[in-house]
Amino acid sequence: MRKYWEMAKSQIQLDTAYTAWYWARSASIIMRMLIIYAFWHAVYENRTTISDMPLDTMITYIVLATLLGNYVSGVGGQLANQVRDGSVAIELMRPYNLLDKLVALDLGSKISGTIRETFPLLLVAFLFLHINSPTSWLSLLLFIISALLGIFIGTQLDLIIGILAFWLHYVWGLRVLRDAILAFFSGVLVPITMFPSWLQMVSNFLPFQSMVYVPVAIYTGQIEGIAALQAIAIQLVWLVVIIVGIRLAWSFAIRKVTIFGG
Amino acid sequence: MIEVKGLSKYYKLVEKKPGLSGAVQGLFARKYSIKKAVDDISFVIDQGEMVGYIGANGAGKSTTIKMLCGILTPSSGEITVSGIVPYKERKRNASNIGAVFGQRTQLFWDIAVRESYDLLKHIYEIPQHQYEKTMDLFTEVLDLGPLLGIPVRQLSLGQKMRCELAAAFLHSPSIVYLDEPTIGLDVAVKVKIRQFIKEMNRSMNTTVILTTHDMQDIEEICKRIIIIDEGKILYDGSIQSIKDRYGHKRIIHFEMEQEGEFTLPESLLGKAEFTAHEAGVVSLSFSNLIITAAEVISEMLRFYHIRDLTIADSRIESIVQDIYERGI
Repeated sequence: MRKYWEMAKSQIQLDTAYTAWYWARSASIIMRMLIIYAFWHAVYENRTTISDMPLDTMITYIVLATLLGNYVSGVGGQLANQVRDGSVAIELMRPYNLLDKLVALDLGSKISGTIRETFPLLLVAFLFLHINSPTSWLSLLLFIISALLGIFIGTQLDLIIGILAFWLHYVWGLRVLRDAILAFFSGVLVPITMFPSWLQMVSNFLPFQSMVYVPVAIYTGQIEGIAALQAIAIQLVWLVVIIVGIRLAWSFAIRKVTIFGG
Repeated sequence: MIEVKGLSKYYKLVEKKPGLSGAVQGLFARKYSIKKAVDDISFVIDQGEMVGYIGANGAGKSTTIKMLCGILTPSSGEITVSGIVPYKERKRNASNIGAVFGQRTQLFWDIAVRESYDLLKHIYEIPQHQYEKTMDLFTEVLDLGPLLGIPVRQLSLGQKMRCELAAAFLHSPSIVYLDEPTIGLDVAVKVKIRQFIKEMNRSMNTTVILTTHDMQDIEEICKRIIIIDEGKILYDGSIQSIKDRYGHKRIIHFEMEQEGEFTLPESLLGKAEFTAHEAGVVSLSFSNLIITAAEVISEMLRFYHIRDLTIADSRIESIVQDIYERGI
């Protein structure tokens, strides 16, 4: 266990290697949020609610969704690159499980991302954008649990891209597709409740809304009580299914591995 | 101890037809061909041996090494490394081995070299006191002191390779695979690296398997070589015996006092061969099974005024080149 924690720490060190880049990320996410904020203000110009959501709820939703949307990507791309240029060979001759290592690296970069982006963003959001507080302490607690589950799902799901690289060799197109699907079905762009009902139905059967929509809706009170617990249970099921699926795919991939570039 | 029996690895290659139409066709229907990267090889390497594993580019060296590391699964055949089947127990095998791939780095690119070693310490679970002892030794032998605080991206190739080598030996592995560890290095660094490898072998009884195109490396480090070509083993034995078998060809270059026509002395006819005559230098080649170098020289001195002469060594380099080109 210790070695994986050390890997996570080394990733934090890597993230801080370039100072200017580090702070540029903080600035850019705040910038992005301000634009989204202005956009939704403009949309609400002549009305007080959209699909039963008042402006303040919408702003709260969007700010938190932007924040969580930052965590949905993972280290699948890194694995895909290593497969493509052959450096995965060096990883495979080390005494660790590469998937666990990647999850550790992801944890590291998410910790540094939290300090770099989430904290400044929350500060600005509470002080200047006046987003709502959670409806109760309980919903805050459920939000945190649900958000963590959502982040774990994101990490695992992203590994699929990396593993597919063993078969497809080049996965750039797949990553673009993934980004599009995620932006839409995770609920980063708009709350899932604004979809037409058949699309909501489709979304219910996909793991993506567990990553952003579910935790944020628990925070804003759109999902509460028993429904919130149910939603968290579904997240758990997805997490387990995805982890098992990925480990299976990995054991196949590793057997057919071809190392490129001599 | 490494045992390899009947080992083969086949690759499936996608064959694409040339041109744009070929590219489009390739999107729908594909043709495959089979490449035998390693074809039924067997050998045994004992603990503490230093073996040169050589062959032309694409001969199957790296593929073999990767199978020994457990990264590639063989198509057929058996491997055991210290009693472990590498591809079945990759992680257990991994803590036993170290490797340098001359063309890839295993250190962090963006942060100080020291941090890479520190992480390796945790990955291989090296006890702190042992780690400190090894680091002290390596710092001294490889002169790493001034490099530890610098990120890899700012190191020169030679500095980088010294750091890589230390990384490969850090956890005192019983086997180390070195894939072109001296590629692109200057002579001084090469010497340092060879010394280090020999020192490690002496003090820790580390088994070293070295692939390289630099025959000087092989001659200085290894006693035994395995030559592989097109996936098959051409030669497996000591360097001395390959020299005895093929190394009887000698060349002597004579620098003549006077330029001009040269004809071979009659007593040398049929025994030595006149190979070149350039800028006043005459080169004779002969086999020392038929005639000794001393005889050739004394014959030449009888007929010509010689200012200087050099006897070319029967280098392993030319022998190996011969074997690549003509087979064994």
